Amino acid sequence: MSWRWFHQWGSPRWFYERAGRWQLVCGWLALILLVVGSLWGLGFAPVDYQQGNSYRIIYLHVPVAFLAQAMYAAMAVCAVVLFVWKMKLADVAMQAIAVTGLAFTVLSLVSGAVWGKPTWGTYWVWDARLTSMLILGFLYLGLIGLRAAIQDPDQAGKACGILVLVGVVNLPIIKYSVEWWNTLHQPASLKLTEKPTMPASMWMPLLVNILGYYIAAAYLVLGSMRAIVIGRERRASWVKELVGRA
Amino acid sequence: MSIEKRMLARELKLAAARPGDIFKPMWFLMLVISMVPLALSPDSVLLADIGSAMIWVATLLALLLNTEHLFQSDFSDGVLEQWLFLDRPLAWLVGLKLIVHWLFHVVPLICITPIAGLMLSVPTDVLIALLMTLVVATPALTCFSGLGAALTLGSSRSGILGVLVMMPLFVPVVILAAGVLIRATDGSEILPLMALLGAFSLVAATLVPIAVSAAIRLNIGGSN
Amino acid sequence: MLEFQFESLMAFLAMAPHGAYVWPVYILGLLILGGLTWVNLRQHRQAIRLVKRQLEREETHES
Repeated sequence: MSWRWFHQWGSPRWFYERAGRWQLVCGWLALILLVVGSLWGLGFAPVDYQQGNSYRIIYLHVPVAFLAQAMYAAMAVCAVVLFVWKMKLADVAMQAIAVTGLAFTVLSLVSGAVWGKPTWGTYWVWDARLTSMLILGFLYLGLIGLRAAIQDPDQAGKACGILVLVGVVNLPIIKYSVEWWNTLHQPASLKLTEKPTMPASMWMPLLVNILGYYIAAAYLVLGSMRAIVIGRERRASWVKELVGRA
Repeated sequence: MSIEKRMLARELKLAAARPGDIFKPMWFLMLVISMVPLALSPDSVLLADIGSAMIWVATLLALLLNTEHLFQSDFSDGVLEQWLFLDRPLAWLVGLKLIVHWLFHVVPLICITPIAGLMLSVPTDVLIALLMTLVVATPALTCFSGLGAALTLGSSRSGILGVLVMMPLFVPVVILAAGVLIRATDGSEILPLMALLGAFSLVAATLVPIAVSAAIRLNIGGSN
Repeated sequence: MLEFQFESLMAFLAMAPHGAYVWPVYILGLLILGGLTWVNLRQHRQAIRLVKRQLEREETHES
């Protein structure tokens, strides 16, 4: 990985011109993977003998939940890049990921809750996973709120960077303590997805879906980043040229 | 007079000039505690069950609301800017400010929790454990809410954003303290958990002021 | 390995007894992904419109 490649990321213009193509590729790839993966999981994966057909929600819930957490970690990486290399694009990425991450967290919570109804009888249980996901949602909200409260975009970026780094250090501690809290009150811990063995016919569509949602998240983040870049660089000559041409 | 002594003197003066700032959180705590039986039931057995947890939550809220504008007056007086040029690391000064804030504003709060405990029929040994967890955990909580205050320092209409931003980070402390209280209610050994709580609090109190000073530097200087 | 698990398309859509749970979740997922895409597009268009307006203002100042 040459330094030249790395330094190109310092240029919002370079990013904007390339990202359009990447976005297109990701979009189509994600669409195909998700359609195939979802139909496979919904229609072709075998029926679970315990949960019947309701378990098919995992083909959405598990990838989305995993991504909600992965995206927070990605924001932390962006924060490090922002502070160490002062790359503006890292802050743009942080801003873009926050909203997408929140949406995925909400989707994960709702899908988890709806899955809970036929499985445990209620829409909400304070089990370790759902509770951790709820707190992750609050962390995302805090970031979005903080960014909205600070006018100067560079300042806002750095403030969010600090918050993300403090949050990411705390996140494993939070998850661990929530799991421990759960065992305090429910000795038989309820696990939503852990099965001793999942046959290949069940986890293969899951893999396809995980990949699909991953690329879908990339597609969404890239799209958001491009919009943010235009907004932030609106006084730059290349943007004026670009718009003038259109 | 050394910088630290000057700072302490200033804080003492401010605290004496505005005793309401110390009294109002205590008042808030008592109000919230009074709401609990009203919203629930006057049954003292039930209240004793949830009493210690309710006191913890109410103290947490009072602490948060109190610390939210921690740096505001120093900011508008220009004192924070002076800190940047003093011969001390900013994190050290921030830590000092947080300790003093804890001493003058949080400790009084902890001092009236026994009264709240009495009102909610909390058994004595649980009450003692409650006091211990509060003393050990509140320094860390003060540091974290100081971070929220510092991050929202520049923005004018942030409202309770500083509180909202920090609360998720309190979860480990709250859970640990709750664990201690459960053990105390059962009558089992609380020392190992208290040690863990103390260790977490110590680490937080040492590291978080660094993040707070970064946030202050950010919001004073603008982007640099 | 790949066999369709339901007798008919209607059975697939019904997904007894849990169809009322499974399908709304997937529909919500679709709405959220689509919604985010739409929001991004709108943000992009707004940003471009802002720049256009700025350009027009500069041109009228020059002329």
